[in-house]
Amino acid sequence: MSEANTQAVEKYRNNFLKEVEERVEEGEWVKMCMQCGVCSGSCPFGPHWAHPPQEIFMMIRAGKRDEVLTSDSMWMCTSCYNCIVRCPRKLPITHIMHGLANYAHRLGLAPKGQPTREFGKMFWNNLVATGRVNELKLSLSLYFKDGFSQGIKNAMAMKDVGLGMLKAKRLNPFELFSPHGCKDRKGIHAMLKKAREIEDRRKHLTS
Amino acid sequence: MADQKIAAYICQGCGLGERLDTVDLAKVAQKEGKAHVVREHEFLCNVDGVKTIQNDIDSEGVTHIMIAACSRRAKAEAFYFPAVAMSRANLREGVIWCQPDTDEARETTQEMAADYVRMGCAEVKKMIQPQGNPGAVRNNRILVVGGGMSGMTAALQAAKAGYGVVLVEKAGQLGGWAGKIYKRIPSRSPYQDPQDTGVEEMVKAIETDSRIKVYLNAVVAKTGGAPGRFQVEVGQESGAAGTEEVGAIVQATGFSLYDANNLPELGYGKSANVVDQAGLEKLAKEGNGAIRRPSDGGEVKTVVFVQCAGQRDASGKHLAYCSGSCCNTSIKQAMYFKDANPDVNTVVIFDDLRTPGNGEDFYRSAQNKGVTFTKGKVSAVEATGNTCKVTFHDLILNDQNATIVDADLVVLATGQVPNSGVDIDAKLKAEVAAANGDTSLLEAIEAQEASGQKPISVLNLDYRQGPDMPQLKYGFNDSHFICFPYETRRTGIYAAGPVRRPMDMVQAAEDATGAAMKAIQALENAAVGRAAHPRSGDLSYPSFRIEGCTQCKRCTVECPFGAIDEDEKRYPQFNEPRCRRCGTCMGACPVRVISFENYSVDTVGSQIKAVDVPDEFSEKPRILLLACENDAYPALDMAAMNREIYSAFVRIIPVRCLGSVNTIWITDALNSGYDGVMMMGCKHGDDYQCHFVKGSELASYRMSKVDDTLKGMGLEVERVRTFEAAITDIERLPKLINEYAAVIREIGMSPFKGF
Amino acid sequence: MTEVVATNETILVVGGGISGMTAALEAAECGKDVVLVEKNSHLGGRVSMLYRYFPKMCHPSCGLEINLRRIKGNRRIRVLTMAEVTGISGSAGDYTASVKISPRFVNEKCTACGACTDAVETEVPNPFNYNLNKVKAAYLPSAMAYPQRYVLDPSLVGTAEGEKAKAACKYDAIDLGMQEETVQFKAGAVVWATGWQPYDAAKIQPYGYDRFDNVITSVEFERLADPHGPTGGKIQRPSDGREAKNVAFIQCAGSRDENHLRHCSRICCMASLKQTNYVREAYGDEGNSTVYYIDIRAIDRFEDFYQKVKADPNVAFVKSKVAKIVEDEKTKDVILHGVDTEGYHRYANQHDLVVLAVGMEPSVKGANIPAEIVADSSGFIEADPANGGLFGAGCASNPLDVNRAVQSATASALRAIQVINRVARVEG
Repeated sequence: MSEANTQAVEKYRNNFLKEVEERVEEGEWVKMCMQCGVCSGSCPFGPHWAHPPQEIFMMIRAGKRDEVLTSDSMWMCTSCYNCIVRCPRKLPITHIMHGLANYAHRLGLAPKGQPTREFGKMFWNNLVATGRVNELKLSLSLYFKDGFSQGIKNAMAMKDVGLGMLKAKRLNPFELFSPHGCKDRKGIHAMLKKAREIEDRRKHLTS
Repeated sequence: MADQKIAAYICQGCGLGERLDTVDLAKVAQKEGKAHVVREHEFLCNVDGVKTIQNDIDSEGVTHIMIAACSRRAKAEAFYFPAVAMSRANLREGVIWCQPDTDEARETTQEMAADYVRMGCAEVKKMIQPQGNPGAVRNNRILVVGGGMSGMTAALQAAKAGYGVVLVEKAGQLGGWAGKIYKRIPSRSPYQDPQDTGVEEMVKAIETDSRIKVYLNAVVAKTGGAPGRFQVEVGQESGAAGTEEVGAIVQATGFSLYDANNLPELGYGKSANVVDQAGLEKLAKEGNGAIRRPSDGGEVKTVVFVQCAGQRDASGKHLAYCSGSCCNTSIKQAMYFKDANPDVNTVVIFDDLRTPGNGEDFYRSAQNKGVTFTKGKVSAVEATGNTCKVTFHDLILNDQNATIVDADLVVLATGQVPNSGVDIDAKLKAEVAAANGDTSLLEAIEAQEASGQKPISVLNLDYRQGPDMPQLKYGFNDSHFICFPYETRRTGIYAAGPVRRPMDMVQAAEDATGAAMKAIQALENAAVGRAAHPRSGDLSYPSFRIEGCTQCKRCTVECPFGAIDEDEKRYPQFNEPRCRRCGTCMGACPVRVISFENYSVDTVGSQIKAVDVPDEFSEKPRILLLACENDAYPALDMAAMNREIYSAFVRIIPVRCLGSVNTIWITDALNSGYDGVMMMGCKHGDDYQCHFVKGSELASYRMSKVDDTLKGMGLEVERVRTFEAAITDIERLPKLINEYAAVIREIGMSPFKGF
Repeated sequence: MTEVVATNETILVVGGGISGMTAALEAAECGKDVVLVEKNSHLGGRVSMLYRYFPKMCHPSCGLEINLRRIKGNRRIRVLTMAEVTGISGSAGDYTASVKISPRFVNEKCTACGACTDAVETEVPNPFNYNLNKVKAAYLPSAMAYPQRYVLDPSLVGTAEGEKAKAACKYDAIDLGMQEETVQFKAGAVVWATGWQPYDAAKIQPYGYDRFDNVITSVEFERLADPHGPTGGKIQRPSDGREAKNVAFIQCAGSRDENHLRHCSRICCMASLKQTNYVREAYGDEGNSTVYYIDIRAIDRFEDFYQKVKADPNVAFVKSKVAKIVEDEKTKDVILHGVDTEGYHRYANQHDLVVLAVGMEPSVKGANIPAEIVADSSGFIEADPANGGLFGAGCASNPLDVNRAVQSATASALRAIQVINRVARVEG
């Protein structure tokens, strides 16, 4: 079967919905959406998404796997929870959005260079390194993600904030050179590994 | 009448004593009203006043009473004297509350009151307190036509109340649609899963109930008589199966599915794998829940449900209405698959998902089971080999050409068509359409008549007006009335279940129980000669003077309830238990031979004549207002409660229905010098509000012919006017009266005064 | 002291709205004795507060007039107003009901002449108009009120004004010493027809019913359109009395919502479609309505009505559950935010007035009924054999339109009669 045909066959079938139910955090809720659109209307970032949540849910049910997983829409969620409190079906929409983003990321389908995703990766790597977030390093890597000269510009723009934090002892420049981590760095790594194993088992993923 | 003794009571309460000269009114009652006993009372509705009246009845031999006090709508409990004839002169709402309390107005206000006293006396004099039909008979059995869920429910519920039932079913077994389906939509919480139909238990209960007699493979060959004494011939293929006497009838003949053959674009008839909802139920029942692909017995992996197939259709080709139950039915059917194998793809394509009430739980349950719901409109179903391709407009994803390929089964939700028999108004409707330029209906009827084919009747009533119940719309036998869903146009015959209105099984069972209630009530009413709704309890009934009858048939044709037949000598035959006492026949009769004991051409005519008409130089015109007692009259009462002022020249007579207005009243009024006649009745047309169905419409039709009479008399056509009035028109009606009084002032006084 | 003559062949009907009146009448017109208990001072219930019915656009007061005439003419029905059932004990065929009767301070001698109203100055909120206006503290509850008898607000008792009202009554109808009383009587069967109440719209936080003047409920809108209502039938904005020509209707305000009412209230779609007609009736081509909906549930022949409204160019339909309402502080206009899900269009629409099509919940939820009775998760009475001789009718049993409520009430009358006839047979 050609790819186009395969895609046609998948349309409006359970396959992708089932995949989402099994592998996406809170994915089993997607089928309960009744397309009222209150989530889409409630989202403060709504105008900036290609596909609002309710449409994403319909796309999942229509079997539009690639369009959903390569979309940047779910990366736009800022976790304001407006949608969750208003959803008449009590769908945990915020969590589903993050779940979908995470799943797309793990499959490598998430849009490259999507800023939320880039930041997420940075944050995670920063955190995992020592078991604690190094805010200075995180800020700097964020400023410099688009090259050196842009990084200088970003840093200069934020310099007043930085100096203020320095004065208030909320920022320690030495963290750049000798970051302090948690007591049992190995233990943290082992925990995270185990957690991933459990999640993968639960979500039927092998990575 | 020799032993007639009239008592008149003039109340002085509620300001009547201050505003009116009651001594003068008492004199009027005595001298002009010819009352034998006349009493004034300061507070007539109190215990003492009521006792006074009761004493006069008990000890003074009073047979007729005239109470001049408040509106007949007020204090009805106090003024309750069932042993005597009674009229009420409305001096409070009808006079002092609608007239200004000024010195200038005192004279006309008093004249108004005096006229109402004259009218009250004149009316009661002509009244006979009805005692009910002495020929009334009791029959404690009901006929139920149709043995499906509605019919079985009606039978069982009536039997449970102690009444006998004759149940006639066309098929070889009971059950109807319910007997053909695998499972039903849940009727109880938690509304999550299809449930057993319960048909077997019901059939067993019917078979073991000695009160219920069942005819299978049978139809109603003929229905004659009336409530309390219906004669029913039950026919079977072998011939007559029996004659049954019953007191009332429930018609529960159900529905047929809309013919999916009309939907070739949705693949029906082109592939065995495209079925309607009945087809799917058959597959499910045969497989006991395991459903295989019809074309080859293959496994079903994908099922598509097409909602509103041939329904909610604006093109005029298919059903215009929604069948109300198909969404839940498709949900249930999708569950057949999901409950057996959650991996089956089930897609419901809908426009509006209609699962009212607890149906929302059922909808949620289906989603929870993984049924996919898609808002869309299906444009085509194409069959290829053993599968189908469904093309639709996905309205949410805005995809004009969304497709589902390789569907193993497509289920079309085609909707309910009532099994209501013959449309007795078909010819009339066709003639109206033809008059408006559309001859197609008339041609179809003529073609059918030419072919010798007769539409099949359900009840085969031998009523003058046709063999079946009148249909409301789209063939359904529903009532037109929102407050009164059982107010049908054939007394003692009640439609129940989907033949009345598209509905699901829960509603059908509820409806059938209600219909059984009404049937029981109808036979109880018939047993004592009491009227059914809306004049419940009325013991009067129409009779006619055979000597005067010209056999013109207007009464038999115009009766909104088909109550009047013709006997062998072609005289009208009034079937009292079928009659609803509206008086439309009385209004129709050109020779005025029809009357009720307490409501007749005379009771109203004598009121009209009792009014004192001043001469033409008095500048005091007289306007007669005939007002529907249910809407216009209460509206005028309420206007008076708000102290809305209207012309002191109007004299109002409540009538049972404008349909009961005989044109003689109009000509009599004009001949005796009235300057104008107003009539106020209910809205007519498609959304008519007349509770006697056609009364106000007939009245306006009859009055359209009055113009010629007026011209013949040399009078202006403005002297008679008909208005539509609603009970909420509390501001409008006084305005209408005042405007009309201005018109009369404009055209001048009638030249007929003093003749 | 109120006396009620009843036996275990009497049917107790609780609730004097259209369902209760129907159940009482159908049974009584079959020759059964009925006690009809109504909490308010008059019969008629919720429908008497509607301006028109869908789909015929006729007036509820027309049917009420017929039903009241039936009641006035039927001696088998005993009506108790201002009365609440506080307890039902016993079993089918042998119940004892306790009924609490609140003082009306006006006895049966009242002729409805209105002298007491003229004598008092104090005004109290008018419940018949959902408190949108006020009435004198001695008042006739509505023009159609039955019993046609005035009511004295309890606040007048013990005041000089109360005495003034009493003095104004020539018929000794005002009794300021009237006390609350409880009566007990027998009944063989009970029809519970206490109807529905609108869901508390203030609980739907994003719609700001409690914050914005120009957000009202569908039942309040009925009163605005009614000539007996607080504006004399003019559709005006509560904030400034300006004509409301651009009206939004929000469907499922509380219904089909796990945060509020789980069920679909059935009537609201048709009610809003009907109310778009009120806007047209009032303002013709200058009136505009927009209906925000999830699914339009215009079932059976009602579809005709939907199609007719749809064809009106001044009525727009948006498939969307409105996300939130904000108020323009200066104009007090209301701005609706949301997404039209058919093809994803975002909107921020300004309207003069928003009508929330509020859902239906039972007036007395199952658990609060003073008897053993089975109810569903929304509190509607279920048909369960365990209920014995107690039967739900009308909107106490399900969210129903008027037509279906009357069917349900008629059916419940038969169920009650079945019990009564069984009792009669046993007692011979």
